Amino acid sequence: MARRNAVIRVLLVAFCLLSSGKWSGAQTNTPPTRADALHAERAAKAQALAPHHPNALESGLNFFEDRAVFILDREGFYPKLGSITVGSGFAYGLGFRDRDLLNNYGAVDMWVAGSTRGYFAAEGRVRFPELAHKRLLVEGWAGRRDYAGEYFYGLGTDSQRADQSDYGLRTTVFGGSAGVRPFSKLIVGGSLEYLHPSVGRGNDDSVPDVEDAFGEAEAPGVSQRADFLRTHGYVELDYRQPRYPRQGGFVRADVSHYEDRTTGSYTFNRYDFDVRQFVGFFAGRRVLGLRGFVSTTDEREGGVVPFYGMPTLGGNDTLRGFRMYRFRGPHALLLQAEYRWEIWSGLDGALFYDAGKTPLERSDLNFDGLERDYGFGFRFNTDNGIIFRADAGFGSRDGPHLYLVWGGVF
Amino acid sequence: MRTGFSGFARFAAVRAGAGVVVAVMLVATDAAAPRFYPDDPIWTDDDRAFDASGVGTIEDSNGYDFVANTFSNPGERRDVRAPNVNTVDELPDSSWFTNRIGRRPMSVADVVRGPDQRDGVDMAGWVVSGGKSSGVQPGFRMTDSSGQTYQIEVDPSSNPEMASGAEMIGTALYHAIGYSVVEVYLTELDPKTLVIADTAMMRDPLNGKRRRVRPRDLELVFERAARQPNGRYRVLVSRFASGRPIGNFRYYGTRPDDPNDVVAHEHRRELRGARVFGAWLNHDDSRGVNSLDMLEAAGGRSWVKHYMFDFGSILGSGTVFAQRHRAGNEYIFEQRPGWLTLATLGFYIRPWMRIDYPDMPPSVGRIEAEVFDPQQWRPEYPNPAFDNMRSDDAFWAARIVSRFTDEMIRGVVAKAQYSDPKATEYLGDVMIKRRDKVVKAFINVVSPVVDAGLDADGTLRFANAAVDARAATPPAGYTLQWFAFDNATDTRRDVGDPVQVTSPEGRAPAELLTGSDFIGVRVSAAHPDHPGWSSPASFTFRRAATGWDLVGVER
Repeated sequence: MARRNAVIRVLLVAFCLLSSGKWSGAQTNTPPTRADALHAERAAKAQALAPHHPNALESGLNFFEDRAVFILDREGFYPKLGSITVGSGFAYGLGFRDRDLLNNYGAVDMWVAGSTRGYFAAEGRVRFPELAHKRLLVEGWAGRRDYAGEYFYGLGTDSQRADQSDYGLRTTVFGGSAGVRPFSKLIVGGSLEYLHPSVGRGNDDSVPDVEDAFGEAEAPGVSQRADFLRTHGYVELDYRQPRYPRQGGFVRADVSHYEDRTTGSYTFNRYDFDVRQFVGFFAGRRVLGLRGFVSTTDEREGGVVPFYGMPTLGGNDTLRGFRMYRFRGPHALLLQAEYRWEIWSGLDGALFYDAGKTPLERSDLNFDGLERDYGFGFRFNTDNGIIFRADAGFGSRDGPHLYLVWGGVF
Repeated sequence: MRTGFSGFARFAAVRAGAGVVVAVMLVATDAAAPRFYPDDPIWTDDDRAFDASGVGTIEDSNGYDFVANTFSNPGERRDVRAPNVNTVDELPDSSWFTNRIGRRPMSVADVVRGPDQRDGVDMAGWVVSGGKSSGVQPGFRMTDSSGQTYQIEVDPSSNPEMASGAEMIGTALYHAIGYSVVEVYLTELDPKTLVIADTAMMRDPLNGKRRRVRPRDLELVFERAARQPNGRYRVLVSRFASGRPIGNFRYYGTRPDDPNDVVAHEHRRELRGARVFGAWLNHDDSRGVNSLDMLEAAGGRSWVKHYMFDFGSILGSGTVFAQRHRAGNEYIFEQRPGWLTLATLGFYIRPWMRIDYPDMPPSVGRIEAEVFDPQQWRPEYPNPAFDNMRSDDAFWAARIVSRFTDEMIRGVVAKAQYSDPKATEYLGDVMIKRRDKVVKAFINVVSPVVDAGLDADGTLRFANAAVDARAATPPAGYTLQWFAFDNATDTRRDVGDPVQVTSPEGRAPAELLTGSDFIGVRVSAAHPDHPGWSSPASFTFRRAATGWDLVGVER
């Protein structure tokens, strides 16, 4: 109807112009000069001026760029959307942030959110990322995490999918960290954190709870809770170019000491070492990404490492041909290779290969008996990172897996 | 989405209806209008004649401009001669374009000076008066003691001098070509000397709300900026154009609320031909959102003046990073190479991925001239006016490009004040090579015969623009076909047989000189390398008191 009216309006204008004294006698009123002819053309338009009316697409996109982006990324109260943790499902909630604390040097962010899988979290965080001319980073946080349905299949690479169980991990945490940047690509820092974890029943009724399926020997920490004081140090060298890398690399080493403040039985150390290297070719539109990740723990003073403090493999960012947290053990080795090729600006295709294991003994951190998968995926990206990706993993003993993920892999 | 497309359909319907109006009017006019009016060829189009004070603001977002131009093919795609050229196939001066180097001699100094009204700027007494409202280049606004506002922009720390240098070069060259551009200057600034006016407001980048400018806002600008060894910052100072900003123009359609805007932008010669200039200077960012419409007023009347705006992303500059490899070679979204790449798992390598750029100072960014193919050059996404560019539009633009001498180009590059002489030399070399390629590619696509003149005694003289520009060797000869023209009936009658001449001159048949008030000649040439020359250029002359005036040119 609107379209028809618009056409009718324009045709009416045409009729009026042609039936007016000036134009109905066009053959007898030929403009004497080119300037007059052009003038007459403009005079005709002057009779039919109309304001610019943006169409719906124009209005929508203009609104998005002008306003909506500030709704999603707004200061003050904001909608907390996305994910709480890996495997939480889509999360939604409410947050409040202020990113110009102390004259834009600091930011505070508090949010509370629940997810489609029944996860819940609340967190408050204060960051001062660029103090002392960007040389100093200081951060403090406190939070409550209620991860309602984490999966456990037993320890070691030989664990069976048929042994799947779940548990709820509820943790209260608070801590602080500080880091220094000797130069822009290097950070050396440490943190002190108090954790109050509690293992309970999971919310997936289709599988048994971990406390029913496994005993303390197979799942250390399942029967006894403990508080931890975590002392942590790290070194991080980030020379990726750009953040969604076309070249460069990333190296990070973490050393953590978890001191059991309740029973003394679960005190342990954990060491993580993550190396990523990216080789770009053909103007950086083809990238080969390689990653090696090693994690190892050692119990102290005759205790054991609780199962929820052990490294895990499986899921959208490690072994993509397996379920989330499919493998868990006191030690872990992960090797990943990914070939990315730019299809269009902002969309990459990817072929990947993952291999890894979670051995029970540190001496088994070798290339024997690795679990493997391969697959393909697509990445919607900017220079700053992957916004959304779809990865299909195959070739594992657990069958194909499809992951749709907000965020990157490595 | 459905609503969006129904909106588009309505827009298209209105446009189609408007087309009916214009077509009916043109038919009505053409039925009686002569081909040549007494005042032809006109050299000024008075498109300030009607008061346009009622125009509103059209400010497209980046997203809309991209989506509309990439996926909806706005505007009319038709092989039609640019309606705003005069009868000798040239562009009259208007609110869009002022003939400069294409029509009159310009000295090197004239070209280098560009739109600038002074030798430089002295920022003493200036105050920070606001934040920067658009664009990705960090900056803010300052106001001098007279109240004139300027935009201040800095270079990215990764590429000192790059974006500001590109702005200086682009502004000077686009001005000499004939477009309206704002004055730009380079100077140094010490952030410690900045004074923020009490009234300075900006849009908070975090929440989009207007608030006062704070010292930290300026610190954040300079934290992202390239700092000079002396601790100061090189800044680009752009003088705000006079008038009231009313957003941007589009490369299609007309402003429905501007009575003077009657030629669909996708058919305007200066916008079609901008594709040639864009190719030369790698102005991949030539799109609607990088234009500026200002409402000027005088004598109780207002009109819209159209500016080319934001040259920070030309040559090797991507404004805040070195230009991407893809830029100028492929649209952001181009179906065929994308699907090919997807299907072959990336084993299909786009040609531009293989370009090996020389190792140059960061101020150069990424540009080259060896692989550059002017015909294949592309902006960031489709541009309706560029898509409508015809051979005659390309020829017009190439002829303008050919007027830029090596000295002019090097003079303009020197104006960018690159601290590394290697950058200055390389950019000059690249621009000269790209100029030569552009001229050769586009000046030979039609008959390059120009500047035809007919003496009272019937002696015809003309020139060959391609030969003069050293873009082609002279042909073995030219073929002349004389004709009489009846302006009342718009009909031509050939007189005599085609005549072969070996030099750019000939003589009209005697009987032709005594008969019609309008006579003409079609000139063609055969050149083994340039098949476009065989299509004749037609020149029509009108009898004048002292001889013959050139009144019509068609290619």
